[in-house]
Parts: sequence; C-alpha cells; structure tokens
Amino acid sequence: VMDFYYHPGSSGCRTVLMTAKALGVELNKKFVNLREREHLKPEFVKINPQHTIPTIVDNGFALWETRAIVIYLVEKYGKDDSLYPKDPQKQALVNQRLYFDMGTLYDAFSRYYYPIRDGKDASPEHFKNIENVFELLNTFLEGQDYFAGDHLTLADIAILSSVSTFEAVEFDISKYPNVVRWYKMAQEVTPGWDENLAGLESYRRGVAERKAQLNKN
Amino acid sequence: TIGNMDFYYSPGSSGCRTVLMTAKALGVELNKKYLNTREGEQLKPEFVKLNPQHTIPTLVDNGFSIWESRAIAIYLVEKYGKDDSLFPKDPKKQAVVNQRLQFDMGTLYDSFANYYYPLFRTGQPGTPEDFKKIETAVGFLNTFLEGQDYVAGDHLTVADIAILATISTFEAVDFDLSKYPNVDRWYKSAQKVTPGWDENVEGVQRLKDMVNAKKAEHKKN
Repeated sequence: VMDFYYHPGSSGCRTVLMTAKALGVELNKKFVNLREREHLKPEFVKINPQHTIPTIVDNGFALWETRAIVIYLVEKYGKDDSLYPKDPQKQALVNQRLYFDMGTLYDAFSRYYYPIRDGKDASPEHFKNIENVFELLNTFLEGQDYFAGDHLTLADIAILSSVSTFEAVEFDISKYPNVVRWYKMAQEVTPGWDENLAGLESYRRGVAERKAQLNKN
Repeated sequence: TIGNMDFYYSPGSSGCRTVLMTAKALGVELNKKYLNTREGEQLKPEFVKLNPQHTIPTLVDNGFSIWESRAIAIYLVEKYGKDDSLFPKDPKKQAVVNQRLQFDMGTLYDSFANYYYPLFRTGQPGTPEDFKKIETAVGFLNTFLEGQDYVAGDHLTVADIAILATISTFEAVDFDLSKYPNVDRWYKSAQKVTPGWDENVEGVQRLKDMVNAKKAEHKKN
C-alpha cells in the first residue's frame, strides 16, 4: 500500500486520486493540513525536501510533482499503456498536454484567482489570459473526443482536475463548446470523479473560509 | 531513420537550448528555423497551423508537430536514443527525472520568469518577494544535489540538460550561484560533459545583450 500525502482541495492531489482509481491502486491517504503548516513538519520535509503535495511514498520510494506521480503509477501498475501510451509520438502528445496543464492552464488559474483569494484586486489582464487559454483548450479538442488521441489518457485526467477547479470558482466555460462537450463526457468516464467532486467542495469551503477571515481583518 | 526535422526556435530561449543540447547529445540533426518572437513571427498563420499555441520551441518531425521543450526532449530520446540513459525506462528512475523536469518548469524557471521577465519588458524587475522565491527554488536544487553529481541519478539525463539551460539563463542576469555550493559544483561540471554547451553559451549571450539593451533603454527614459 502506498502512502499518499494530500489535501482534498488541491488540484494536483485530485489528479492523483482519479488516476489511482482508474488503475485500481489503493492509496493510504494522509491528510496534510496546509493551513496548520503540517507540510513543514520535519518528518514530512525528510520525505520531500520541497515539502509539497501531492507526495507518494511507494515502499520507501518518495515521489512528488503530480504529473511525475501519475506517469509513475501507470508505468508501474497499469495493466496496459492506454492511460500513458508507450509509442513515442502518442506519448509526446500526452506529455505536451501535461506540461500545458501545469505551465499554462493551472498557471492561468493561480495568476488570476490566488490574488483574489488573498484579498487583492482582480486583474482584467489575467482574466483575459484565462479566456485565451480556454480558447486553446477548445482548439485542441476540435474534432477530438479526448485531449491526446482517441481514448482517455492522463492528459484528460489532469486537465479534468484543472477545469473542474475553474468551475468550482464559477468560471463560465459555456463559450467553449468543445470543452463543454468534453467536460460532460469526461466526468462520466473518469474513475474517481466523485472523489474529485468531494475535493472541490473542500476547495470551495476553503476559499469561503479565507474570504470570511479577510473580511474580519 | 531521420528525415526532415524542422526546429522552430530562438537562440536566447531556455527551452530551445534544452532541445538543442539534447539533439546534440543524441546526434540528431535539426533543420533550424529562427523565429523572431519579439517581432511576432510566431503569430504568422503558417506557424499557428503547426502549433495553435504558437510557442517555441516547436519540432516538426516528418509532419508530426510537437511543442513544450521537455516533451520534445523526452520524445527525441525515446525515438532516436541509442539507449535509455538520457531518459531511463525504469519507472522509478524515470519518475525522478520527471519530477526534476517538472520542478524545472513549475518552480525553478517559473521563479526566474516572474522576477526577470518584467525586467526584460520594462527594464524594472519583479518584487523582492519574487526574488526570494528564486532563492528558495535554487535552494531546493541545492538540496537535490546533496551528495549527487547529477540532478536525477548517477549519470547525465534530460533533467540535467533542462536545468542546465535554466541555470545558465540565470547567468544572463548575473545571479550569484556561489551561495549554493552543490549547484555551483554541478553547474561547472555539467558544462564540461553536456554536448552542445557552446551553442547554449551563444544563446545566453544573445539574451544578455538584449537584457543590457533593455536596461540602457530604461535608463534613458
């Protein structure tokens, strides 16, 4: 059994949860209360010097970074390579989508929404960036049912986690018809979607609590 | 066999230098196509057709278009590597390389960009908090390199190449690496063993020239 250090609200953690569900891998979940700075406890820093979540420990092997974890899980525990194809071209496309998810999609989320969460003003420039990014997502899905090829891969699971996080803060995806279509379908076919939903609830609660805290001060 | 491998790039770009060095290490010849991103050449319709995200680096291998520097580097090793040393097939070894690559994009290079891109654009850098984040990121790299000659395992991988491109970019803005002894040690030795290092140096110099020009421009105003 694999130790899984996580927070349910975290987008990256939800990507790992859904991937593990898809693979039938059991996770020994260890909740890390970020607000109480539990990730900075010496025992955890010993496991992961970068003290980030998600982190897994697989029989003594510690690994972090969402997308490194999910690739590892498929390669080590997948019955086949469908979630992460071995063919170099197919895999390269999944990899490009995964780096897009980290460096462009979720990056757009944090640039716009994190300052708002911290009580700062909304930036129209950063909102426009989100819209441009969703235009790209829409383009990637032109004539495609999935983000990388013709079946579900890690690219879909990671992007599903990110897009659902946008939905949780009420970003309107209706202007992006391919994304709407894909999002409806992906929810139905991705194992662990319920757990992702529960995590989003936790995320929404966290955002509301933080807002209330800021209004008090 | 390698047919037509078009490589859309700019020499200053860190990601492009990652691909250049990886290709050199593999003996893969790239048909280099320079795109002046400051003149918006990446927005030309022919290029957007190849890559709707219109970013560099972009590689077109006999009609197969791929972008994101680290995805390209991995693809080149898997397709053209004589062996898997630059990107091990073993899941655990590969996972460490992947974690380092994602650290490179999401933490290390990200911290650099947040602080220095405003400098490139306006002549004024980011906030002191942004600078602190760079120090934290390089600090993590220093920890990863404790007792290690390479960033992921015991030999050169694409993780070293990508992070070498990133750290050499720090040189363009005179970032002081001496406070990070493991990084300093690794940086000095990685230069000697990574193919294509000369081309990387040229690219960083181009970037440095651009930064200095921007600074001078800002001083005038």
